[in-house]
Amino acid sequence: MYKFKIVYLPEFLEYLQEKYTLWAPAKSGTETEFKVISSFAEIDQSRLNTTLNPKEIFFPRREVLFSYDENGIKTPPPPEKPVAVWGLRTCDTRSIRMLDEVFSNAHQMPEKEMFKDPYWINKYADSLLISQACRQPLSTCFCNWFNSGPFDETGSDIFVIKGEVNYYLKGISDKGQEVLAGFAKAEQTDEKDAAEIKDLQAAAESYMSPALDISDLKSKLDKIWDDPLWEEIGAKCINCGACAYICPTCHCFDVSDEGKAGKGKRVRLWDACMFQLFTKEASGHNPRSNSLNRVRQRVMHKYNYFVDNYQKFLCTGCGRCVSVCPVNMDIREIIKKILAHEI
Amino acid sequence: MHEKNIYKPIPFKLDKVETESPLIKTFFLTPEEDFHFKTGQFVEVTIDGIGEAPYTPSSSATVTDKMEITIMKAGYVTTKMHELKGGEILGIRGPYGKGYPLEKFHDKEVIILGGGVGIAPLRCLILTMMSEIERYQKINVCLGARTPADFIYKDWYPELGSNPKINLLRAVDKADETWQETEGVVTLLLGKLQTDFSSTVAVVCGPPIMMKFGTLKLLELGVKEENIYLSMEKNMSCGLGKCGHCALGDYFVCKDGPVFTYDEIKDYPDIWI
Repeated sequence: MYKFKIVYLPEFLEYLQEKYTLWAPAKSGTETEFKVISSFAEIDQSRLNTTLNPKEIFFPRREVLFSYDENGIKTPPPPEKPVAVWGLRTCDTRSIRMLDEVFSNAHQMPEKEMFKDPYWINKYADSLLISQACRQPLSTCFCNWFNSGPFDETGSDIFVIKGEVNYYLKGISDKGQEVLAGFAKAEQTDEKDAAEIKDLQAAAESYMSPALDISDLKSKLDKIWDDPLWEEIGAKCINCGACAYICPTCHCFDVSDEGKAGKGKRVRLWDACMFQLFTKEASGHNPRSNSLNRVRQRVMHKYNYFVDNYQKFLCTGCGRCVSVCPVNMDIREIIKKILAHEI
Repeated sequence: MHEKNIYKPIPFKLDKVETESPLIKTFFLTPEEDFHFKTGQFVEVTIDGIGEAPYTPSSSATVTDKMEITIMKAGYVTTKMHELKGGEILGIRGPYGKGYPLEKFHDKEVIILGGGVGIAPLRCLILTMMSEIERYQKINVCLGARTPADFIYKDWYPELGSNPKINLLRAVDKADETWQETEGVVTLLLGKLQTDFSSTVAVVCGPPIMMKFGTLKLLELGVKEENIYLSMEKNMSCGLGKCGHCALGDYFVCKDGPVFTYDEIKDYPDIWI
């Protein structure tokens, strides 16, 4: 494990920028989101979680697939430099790895044909994900339900812990180790550092509410599709879709055109299963025409169907949907209700 | 690009447009690049400035230098399609999905049950099967429409019905004075078939309500669950199993279907809605 003094962070980031396009949390109006950073001063890490999620980095809310005019079809050029992300939380890093399974087909499905998405792959290839330990998790955090926690290194290329005077940095992947070994200011940690890290981790974990055992969640969901419980769960949802937009793992989208015949752009836009039009067919027929069906679909996709296809929940416990919901729906309460429900 | 661009359409020339019924037209296309599909697969058709929409070709999959698509005027893309006259260039990407496993139909009697514009993809299936008709025992084609005027491919039926291996039966919900065939729902036609249903393969394509009652009738007659092939088309967008629009439980209809056997989806909730 390496360390460098906190004051050397700008230097470390400049070092990263030699090879990478650097993304980090930054102010966006009154909120924070991941942005391309040109200097250290733009970074805003005053919040634990960025308001908006990091899927934007590799899967933008609006992405031009190609433009067309009388000369034919032009696809956007691939990025010049690979992406490095500073300031990811461990939940966000895990969410990016999940989306990679969907878009790159990194996780080969044996029986099901899966396509590789060139737009995702172009941005994601050779990227460096640097996640940072959460010293003081929020009341909305529930990553510990998913075998994770504030000091979970899973999926990171480099894992960072901010100490009192030092950043501690652990190279998790070969790529991450190589980057750290090449930074002149990085020193090896000693026993005293190890003790500080241990204390920080214990303190951070003490902030978390005890984890809920959700090992029965999938099998429970398999049995309650028709249950009146959904009326209770979904009654107050106004289908605004904020949860899906702010979710780092939701990845539904729509392919649409901007422009006119002969000249325009084909774009891919975030979409959400919360919207009535999402499933509406040209004939007028709509398989999920009412709100309850859509709430059920979102819960089922995250905690049941995705598990069928990828053997994991499509949720990292980042808690963004809990903070953003305008009618105070709390996915943790929904899960608790489902688990407690007698069939 | 590291990978082949799966979103990029290839150009097709629109040779001509024919009117099938008040709301349905057939578009005759010539691909300008190499293009193949299997019967039952669908494509995404592009109209510049409007967007894409999914359709299943209605011409034989054995013909690769031409392609026909029959489209009902319903949404944005179809309305724009219906304004086309011929001579335009359209973009098409695909094909997507799995299509019908024809090898499983070989040496069997086949029932093809369709209604409305659902007859379009079935025409592709029937024409494809007819190119190797000796492989099938017999094909029972049971088709329905609201009125005689609503039947698409009006010129095709005399030729189809004259094929000795094809038993063509048609029904309309509401007959007129010229109608000589069955009046009533299309599932009535199934009751007229003389066959060993337990060894028969059935294919169903049409509006959701027809799919439901057609399947129930086939099951009642003794067709095996694994021998009933259903076209479960939804509002497919990407065609790649990623965008989420066509999710049916853990399946994505676009890549895991759009053709499923009843056996594969019968335990999925609300498949008929």
